[in-house]
Amino acid sequence: MVDDKRMHKIPDEVEYTDKHSDDFRGDVREHGFQFVGYDWAPEEEQFKIYLHYDQLYYWKLAELSKMGKGFLDGELWGTKCPKCGDKFFPPRVNCWNLDCNLEKTEWIKLKPEGHVHTFTIAGWSGKSSLKRLPFVLAYVVIDGCQTAVANELRGIDPWDAEFGMPVKVVWADPKDRRGTITDFWFEPADGWKPSPMNPEKERIKELCQPVYEWVKTLK
Amino acid sequence: MSRKVCIAGGATTPFGYPMHLTPEAMIANCIVETQQDIPDFHLRDLDLMIYSHFSVHFGKQLCPEWVVHDHLGLVGVPHFRVENGGNTGGSALYAAFLAVKSGLFDVVGVAGWETMDNVTQSQGSEFIALASDTRYEALAGGIYPIYYAAMAYKFMKEHNLTEEDFALAAIKNRNYAADNPKSQWYRGEYKKYNRDLTIDDVMQSRLISYPLKRYDCCLMSRGGSFALVTSEEWAKKHADGKYVLIDGAGLSSCTIRAGDRLSFPGWTERYGKGYPDMTEFAACRHSGEVAYDMAGIEYKKAVKEVDVAEIHDAFSSSETQIYKALHWCDKDNIREFVRERRTFMDGDVPVNPGGGLMGFGHPVGATGIMSAIEVYYQLTDMIPKKHRSSKTYVRDAQTGLVNSHAGTGTSISNFILRRP
Repeated sequence: MVDDKRMHKIPDEVEYTDKHSDDFRGDVREHGFQFVGYDWAPEEEQFKIYLHYDQLYYWKLAELSKMGKGFLDGELWGTKCPKCGDKFFPPRVNCWNLDCNLEKTEWIKLKPEGHVHTFTIAGWSGKSSLKRLPFVLAYVVIDGCQTAVANELRGIDPWDAEFGMPVKVVWADPKDRRGTITDFWFEPADGWKPSPMNPEKERIKELCQPVYEWVKTLK
Repeated sequence: MSRKVCIAGGATTPFGYPMHLTPEAMIANCIVETQQDIPDFHLRDLDLMIYSHFSVHFGKQLCPEWVVHDHLGLVGVPHFRVENGGNTGGSALYAAFLAVKSGLFDVVGVAGWETMDNVTQSQGSEFIALASDTRYEALAGGIYPIYYAAMAYKFMKEHNLTEEDFALAAIKNRNYAADNPKSQWYRGEYKKYNRDLTIDDVMQSRLISYPLKRYDCCLMSRGGSFALVTSEEWAKKHADGKYVLIDGAGLSSCTIRAGDRLSFPGWTERYGKGYPDMTEFAACRHSGEVAYDMAGIEYKKAVKEVDVAEIHDAFSSSETQIYKALHWCDKDNIREFVRERRTFMDGDVPVNPGGGLMGFGHPVGATGIMSAIEVYYQLTDMIPKKHRSSKTYVRDAQTGLVNSHAGTGTSISNFILRRP
């Protein structure tokens, strides 16, 4: 292989000395294809098969490993281009600036604070998130980065969220961390107070009520 | 290059959720309908097939295009599949355009479908969110309506728009869909209302992600479509009076994570600092400009030159954002542009008379092709035959625009179609 400083090292063999498979996937059984039933409509001659497919996925964080390990330790690691100084979270392992020509970025520890760039109040989501509704998903610019990252904004009534509001990073209990983005969320910065109710906030509150009611009915 | 590329036929299945039709039958139906319009077209004419299909998750079948291809009897004809998120259809069309433009092929079939009714809507939303950078947003509960809502909320604030302004696109497209017998809205929920939808109906529909409500969002669908992309010579000989020219084609890209476009160097270089932020679709502006340039349309005059458009209205907000990205209005007059209903049938640029994604439906791989076929029908005066009435027929349209859109604006294509 050509020797070029911009290239990332690919280890020949990886030995995971610190294994946590029992905590995280010990209970996940891989079944593969399973035929779990069928429907038949004689009148229209329509036949439907219920097929279930279970798959355990891996994410090898590889060059991003420092970020994942940082989550476990309650540290936020981003990257910075040594040439142009652009800072990224989510980390980019090469600079995005065409003039920097794929310069390899350096890891930097970020301050666990930022401000809300934009946000929304979710009243519907994917299957695995339905019970958390309604929640605020905010795009936050962390510690002067050139990018914004989306994560949940908690510790606030959904209608109280604001553009530009200062937020802090709050970590999940160490035993609940998984090395993923859900190991932390945002909360309003200390001392921040929501502005008084106004027609827009009332409207959002009104839209949220049926969602609260609906979530209560979910098993 | 002087060689001209044409759309010389095409058809769409009804869109539905649920619907009972296999992908191979969907495409077969579309080809049969195309042959009814273009009797001279035979399967033997096809010298390349491009398949447009987004997610193998929905069908539990890798390379499903192989199933369709030999079912059609086309063994030996070269084929490949294009997958590019919501812009899969537009990108497949773009590939066909390149294939004919290059001179390598004369008759290219573009066939697309999606079978999203194989899963529930919440599961489907999560499947689609697998097209976002799953290591970040998706795990935090993000699905596409949520990403779009965050962008729309900021756009709404910065352009002084209201929820009601977005709702205009939502009622427009659904009410036009009621004139289209193949649309999912007409064949489904319309039966419950049996009347035009109102702004109030949108405002009262359930919260999806503020400012978007249920009726601000497109439909999850099963459906298929087919387009015949040919050289001008073939079109003249076999589809005289029933073909249109692809006079402009543009394809562009933007970041996968919407949060990464606040100061992306590539955009700063092209359009200045702070563009597009999280409020506009830069890939739409750029691909639109490329298509306008190719078709000889001045950006400022685009709104006058384009007579009819089918735009990727995954959300009422995104349709509104696209008006600006396509240079039809700017920050200063977008409010008036929207409120004067200039994109309605009696406005100067009717948008989505076919119903769009909110009315016709959105089986991802079929959608962009469906949009192109609707514009093709407009420009060949086939609408009165294809729709329920002439209510959604734009008479004497000379120039049409087709827009296809993926991710959070991550890939966007635009085409300019013209009467020969």
